[in-house]
Amino acid sequence: MSRYLGDAWALPYLDPQIRPFFSSGVIRIQVCRSCDAPQHPPDDVCHACQGTEFSHRDSAGLGTVHSFIIVHHPVHPALTERVPYAVALITLDDMPQIRVCGNIVDAAPEAVSIGQPVRATFEEIHDAETGEDLTIPQWETLTG
Amino acid sequence: MQRRSVVVGVGESSYYKRGTAQETEFQLACIAIRNAVEDAGLDLSEIDGFVSHMESRNDPMRLSRALGVETLDFAAQPWGGGGNGVAAGIMLADAAVSGGLAKCVVAFRALAQGQFGRFGQARMANRLYGAANYSALYGLLSPAHICAMQTRRFMHDHHISQEALADIALACYANAQLNPRALRCGKPLSREQYHASRWIVEPFHLFDCCPENDGAAAIVITTPERAKDLRKKPVPILAAAQGLDAGDGFGAFNERNFPTAFYRNVGKRIWERSGVRPADVDVAQFYENFTGPVLIAMSEMGFAPPDGIEEFVSNGALEGPDARLPFNTSGGNLGEAYIHGFELINEAVRQVRGESTCQVENVELSLAVAGPGFSPGSAVLFCRD
Repeated sequence: MSRYLGDAWALPYLDPQIRPFFSSGVIRIQVCRSCDAPQHPPDDVCHACQGTEFSHRDSAGLGTVHSFIIVHHPVHPALTERVPYAVALITLDDMPQIRVCGNIVDAAPEAVSIGQPVRATFEEIHDAETGEDLTIPQWETLTG
Repeated sequence: MQRRSVVVGVGESSYYKRGTAQETEFQLACIAIRNAVEDAGLDLSEIDGFVSHMESRNDPMRLSRALGVETLDFAAQPWGGGGNGVAAGIMLADAAVSGGLAKCVVAFRALAQGQFGRFGQARMANRLYGAANYSALYGLLSPAHICAMQTRRFMHDHHISQEALADIALACYANAQLNPRALRCGKPLSREQYHASRWIVEPFHLFDCCPENDGAAAIVITTPERAKDLRKKPVPILAAAQGLDAGDGFGAFNERNFPTAFYRNVGKRIWERSGVRPADVDVAQFYENFTGPVLIAMSEMGFAPPDGIEEFVSNGALEGPDARLPFNTSGGNLGEAYIHGFELINEAVRQVRGESTCQVENVELSLAVAGPGFSPGSAVLFCRD
């Protein structure tokens, strides 16, 4: 599967805190073990109860476009050939307080709109340098 | 309201197109500070404190030695972000002077981006670490991208058109035409040119985005007692504020009040502390990194409700000295120069002194609001003595 921003674009280094989001094959959100509050991006302390131990909750992967931008001017040389591209901010339907960034991989930038329903999809990448198998969350449009 | 510290000196270096200053950044800082101290009629040796924001390169220890200060009694910077801290730096100087920790504090900012590189350029490698992954992995890389995401949602929620963004840019450019120091003086901007300019990141055209420049600006803050026999009329700091609203401290678009510009609490505090209202303000400088977040900051500061902000800024309501709200009267980041917002502080002080090139009549209250879109926000309100 080729990546939305091109196969040469940067890859994540998976530290323990970000690993679940980028390698689980689902939209996996940090949840506090003490009070069950989800938060994103993950942090070392629960923002609701200051708990310090966490588990995760998997979203069903349905969301809604909350905002988006269309990038025309590349601010990194690796994206010179890739512009224009869109970056969307997605609200999860089953955790409405959580917003995640992503690309709408099956839509032209000008077709992205606020309120558009979307479904998670994943860019499956074997990172040859680190040996990690990544599943980078992305989004596709959902109609009807 | 007790007024315990006053601005007595204003100065700057020459301003340059990014990367073209002949001086080093440290030289620019020293030139601006020396000019501000001379403007005050003080001696450099009397300076005993320095504040700045996001200033990692021109530190107070090096400045103390280069400028020949007698003793250094106070050196501090606010936490967080970038241009959002410019007024918070003034707040620290006010606190230090008011609290007796120092007598003559210089607040300043210097930038030489040819020497040290730009803010708007992504400097990432092919490997991303930590929280950067949640945005940069998807191509959301620069301050423009972050502010565009906030602005798009704000426009959607409050039915704001592109014309409101244009109004911000046009006011800055129009006012810059009156200011010989402004890098855009002699380069007027029309609404047609605005709309025809290329997209940088929708909803921002080229003219929605401030340039990056080389230069330095500084003010001197001292006690009312020391100010008495100095060269210029002192300009009291009536109030200053820095802060966040509940739940807005954690970024990546998960703030409770997204799309906030981080000015809800700053607005509340500055009106509480000063005892005045937005409608009382005679002239306002708003840091415009990008036009859109100014609309959010303006409404969060209480100048108009979000649903009324487009009407508030339209039909030339911000342009020139006789505007409904005279705004960015030196041209601001867009029109004068991007000195990380410090040029707006200098202009806010000059308006109270009657020294602006776009002078508003009988200024009693002059507001400067720091950078929107990054937290925590800050603002400072100057008044007539």
